[in-house]
Amino acid sequence: MRVHLPALDHGFMDPAPVQYTIRIHGHLGATVLSAFPALVPQHHGADTVLTGLLDRSALYGVLAEVEALGLELVEIRQLMPEGRSPESGDSRSP
Amino acid sequence: MDRTKPRLIGRGDLLAALDRAVAKKVTIISAPAGSGKTSLLRAWADRPGQPYRLAVMQVQRDQHDAQQFWLALLSAVRQASAPTSRTEPPAATPDFNGRAMVDRVLSELADLRGLLILVIDDLHELISPDALAQLTRLLTNLPGDAHAVLATRRDLPLHLQQLRLAGELAEIRAADLRFSERETRELLDASGVALSDAGADLLHQRTEGWAAGLRLAVISLAGHPDPELFVAEFSGSDRTVAEYLIAEMLERQPDDVKDLLLRTSVLDRVNGELADLLTGRQGSERILLALEDANAFVVSLDPERTWFRYHHLFADLLRLELRRALPAEVPGLHRRAADWLIQHGHIADAIRHTQAAGDWPGAARLLADHSFSLTMDGQAQTVRALLRAFPPGAPADNPELALIRAGLNLARGRLDEAAAHLAVAESHAETTPPDRQRRLRVAIASLKLSLATRRGHLASVTEQAKFLDSPVTGQSDEDIALDNDLRAVALMNLGTVEASLALADAERHLREGAVLARENGRPYLEVRCLAQLAFASRVRPFATTRRRCQEAIALAERHGWGLEPWIAPALITLAANLVWTGEFGEGERWLQRTERALQTDTGPDIRLLVHIVSGMLQAGRGRRHEALREFSAAEHLGSQLADSHALASQVTGWLLATQARVGLPGEARASLAALDDERAGSGEVGNARAVICLAEGDPAAALATVTDVLGGAAPVIGYVTLVETYLLAGLAHRELGDQRAAHQAAERALGLAEPDRLVLPFVMTGSGELLEALPRHETAHAALLADVRDVMRGSSLAAKDQSSSPPAEELSPTELRVLGYLPTNLSRPEIASELSLSVNTVNTHVRNIYAKLHARDRSSAVQRARELRLLSAGLTR
Repeated sequence: MRVHLPALDHGFMDPAPVQYTIRIHGHLGATVLSAFPALVPQHHGADTVLTGLLDRSALYGVLAEVEALGLELVEIRQLMPEGRSPESGDSRSP
Repeated sequence: MDRTKPRLIGRGDLLAALDRAVAKKVTIISAPAGSGKTSLLRAWADRPGQPYRLAVMQVQRDQHDAQQFWLALLSAVRQASAPTSRTEPPAATPDFNGRAMVDRVLSELADLRGLLILVIDDLHELISPDALAQLTRLLTNLPGDAHAVLATRRDLPLHLQQLRLAGELAEIRAADLRFSERETRELLDASGVALSDAGADLLHQRTEGWAAGLRLAVISLAGHPDPELFVAEFSGSDRTVAEYLIAEMLERQPDDVKDLLLRTSVLDRVNGELADLLTGRQGSERILLALEDANAFVVSLDPERTWFRYHHLFADLLRLELRRALPAEVPGLHRRAADWLIQHGHIADAIRHTQAAGDWPGAARLLADHSFSLTMDGQAQTVRALLRAFPPGAPADNPELALIRAGLNLARGRLDEAAAHLAVAESHAETTPPDRQRRLRVAIASLKLSLATRRGHLASVTEQAKFLDSPVTGQSDEDIALDNDLRAVALMNLGTVEASLALADAERHLREGAVLARENGRPYLEVRCLAQLAFASRVRPFATTRRRCQEAIALAERHGWGLEPWIAPALITLAANLVWTGEFGEGERWLQRTERALQTDTGPDIRLLVHIVSGMLQAGRGRRHEALREFSAAEHLGSQLADSHALASQVTGWLLATQARVGLPGEARASLAALDDERAGSGEVGNARAVICLAEGDPAAALATVTDVLGGAAPVIGYVTLVETYLLAGLAHRELGDQRAAHQAAERALGLAEPDRLVLPFVMTGSGELLEALPRHETAHAALLADVRDVMRGSSLAAKDQSSSPPAEELSPTELRVLGYLPTNLSRPEIASELSLSVNTVNTHVRNIYAKLHARDRSSAVQRARELRLLSAGLTR
C-alpha cells in the first residue's frame, strides 16, 4: 500500500542533504556526542563543531537534540558545494 | 508539600518578579532546558501562605493528542475550583471538538468566583498545532479573574499580540532565571557545601548561573572530600556543563543507584516495582525516595510518592549514557517495561516501548488488539501518533494496521481513503494467522458497516450486519470484550440506518446496543445509542420521545458531552418535538444548541434534519420565505444521500406547499410534475397538491386530493400528516361554502392533534379563520384550541414558560385532572360526572387550584395554568 505523502513527491519540499556545520559551546563528550551519530565532531578552541550531511528534517532533529540537552548553540552554517549557488537547488523544480 | 527541600532555596527576588508578572493576564516563562522554570513554579506554588488559587498542569512528554492536553487542563481547573468535590474526571470521546472544549473551559473559568491562576508547565511538549491554536483562543479570552502562567523551553507560535499591546503579557526569560552570585552562595550554604567565596565565584562563572548546572554541581559537592579541587577541575574543563557534571555525579553514586538511574531512564515515569523489574534488584523504591529527597532531578508525581519522573534534561543525558554504556541491554529493558505496562493497563505506553525495542510485528499486533479500545476511549490521536512511529514499508500491508488506518480515516470523514485501507485489509486477510482471522473479519465487517452508513448506502447495510448473528464462543475474555465492543458499534450503526429509514427494528437494535455498551463500560457508545434511540422514537407519543431525548442529553451532559456532534440526533429531535407543540422559543434554543454541537460535523444526514426543523420553526412563526429557504436546503441535502431518507416525502411536501403559499404555485406545479411516482404518491405530497390547488383557486380539486389521502390511498409518515390533511379538507370545504363539513374536518384535526398537543399543523396550514369560525361550544378540545390561538397571535408557548410570575405551588394529580376541564365550557357538575367525583369534591379541588395558582376565577386560573404549561402537560404526562 502506498500512502500519499505530498512532502516526498516534490523535490523542492525536501532537498537533497547538504553539508552543515553546527558550532556548540564547550567540548562535547562521548555521551552527548552519541546523540549526534550522523555528525563528525571536532574541537575548535572552547567549542565543538559538528559537521555532516543533513536534509532539512535531520537538521531540525539535531536542533531538537541541542535544545533537549541544554547545549549552547553558537552558530549553524550551510556549506555550499563548489560552483553551486544557494538558489541552484531550486532550479530543478518546474 | 511542606517537606524540607534543601534543593529549593527561597529565590525571593525571582518569586517577587513572578508575583508582579501574574498581575498581568498571561505570563510566559521562556528559557532553555535546566534554567529552573519548574523549580521556580514549584517554589512559588508551594510557598507558605500562597495567596492564589492555582490550577497546575504539566504537559506530557511529546503530547500529540490535543484532547489529552485539554482534558488534563480541564481536570486541573476543576481540581482548583472544587478540590473537595468528587466529580467524575472529564472523559475523552472519539470525536473531539477542540472549539467546544475551549468554550467549556472558558465557561467553567467564568463561573469561578475569585482569582485563579492556570499554570501550564512544559508547554513546549505540546506538538499539536490545533491545541496551540485553541490555547491562543483560551488565553486571549480569559475571563476577568483568570490568569495564566506558561513555562516553555522555546517561544511558541501563540498569537498573543493583542495581550501584548494591551500590556497584559509578562515575560520571564533565561537571563531573569539565572542564579546571582548571592543565590549561588545561598544554594551552597543550604546544601551544606563548604566552599570558599572564590570557589563559589568560580562555580558561578563556570555555570553562568545556569540552574541545572549549579544543582548538579551541588549533588557532587555535598560530601565531596575536597570541594575546592572539584570546582577547580570543573572550571578547568572544556566539556559542556551538564555532561561534565552528570558524569561526575554518576561516578559518585553507589553502583546500585547508578544502575537504577541508567536502566530506568528508558521510562517516562517510574515506580519502585518497575524499577525493580528493570534492575533485577529489590528495594528500588527506597532509592527513588532518597533521590527525590537529595536532589531536584527526581520528582514524585503523586502525594503518596509512588510514581517518579526524572528532570527531562537529566533523563535525556542518562538515556544517552545508557545507550553508550549498555547498548545490548536497551531492547530488553523496553520489552520488560512493555510487559509490565500491558499488565497494568498502560496500553499506549506499552506499545511505545515495544516499538522502541524494535519489535515491529509485536507492536503492530498490540496496536491492532487495542486500537479500537483506545479509539473508543478518545485516544484516536494517540493511535495516530503510534501508527506514524512504525517505519515506512515493512508493516504497510499488515492487514491489522491497514484496518486501523481505515478506522482513523473514517472517523475524520475521509471516506475514500478509508475504503482504500479497508480494501488492503481485506485482500491481506488470508495472510493473518488463523487465531486472529475471526477478529479481523468482525472488525472489517463493522468498519464496512460504518462506511456504508456514512455514505448513505442504506440498503446495503442490513446485509453487511449479518455477522451480528455469529455466535461468540470459544474465545478468550479479551476477544469477547472486543466482540462486544464491535457488536455494540455494529448495533448502533445498524439502528441508526434503520432509524433513518424508519424501520421497525431500529429501536430494538439501538436499545440492545446501549445495554451492551453499558455492560462493557463504554459510556460513549451508550450515549450515542441513546441519542439515536431518541431520534428513532420520533414516531412514538411525544411525551415518550421527549423523555428519551432528555435522558440521552442528561447522560451526555453528565460526561461533559452535551455539545458533541453525535448527541445532535437527540438535540434535534427534542427541538422538532417542541416546535410541533408550538413551544417555539424553547425549540429554537435546542435548535441553536444542535447547530453548536454540529460545528465540526457537516454530514448531510444530520444537517438535513437541522434544515427541516429550522423550516418548521420559520413556518410556525409565519416567515414563509425563510421557511422556503430551509426546506429547499433540506431537499438539496437529501438528494446527496445515496438512498432516500425517512423524511424525504415530508421535506418535498412542505417545500412544494410553501412554494404555493408564498405565491409560486406555478413553480410548485413544475416541481410536482418532476417527482417520481413513489414520492408523488405519498400523503405528504398529496397534502402539498391540495395546497397548490387551493392557491390556484380550485378547492374542489383540493378536496378530491385530500379525500384520497384520508381514504388511505397514499402512504403517510405518521398521523401528523393526517392532521394537516383534515385541516386542508376543512379549508377546501370552507371555500366551497360548506361550513358544517369544514367544522367537522377541523374538529377531526383537533381530535387527532390533542394527545400530543400538536400546534404546528394549524399554524402552517393557515387555519386561523377555520378555527375562529368553530363554535366554542361545539369543540371538545378547548385547551388545545386556546394554545393554537395563542400561537397564531404570535406568542410562543414556551416564551410564556419564562414568565416572571412566581412559580405555583405544585398541583396534585387529581387537581391537574380537574384543571384539564376548566378551559372547556363544562359546568362543575358536568366535570364531576366526567371524573366520577362528587360535586363537593370538585368544588374543593377547584378552590385549591385557584389558591395555588393565585387565581380569582375560572378564566384567570385557565390563563395562569396555560402560562405554566400545566394544561398541555397534564394530559400527556
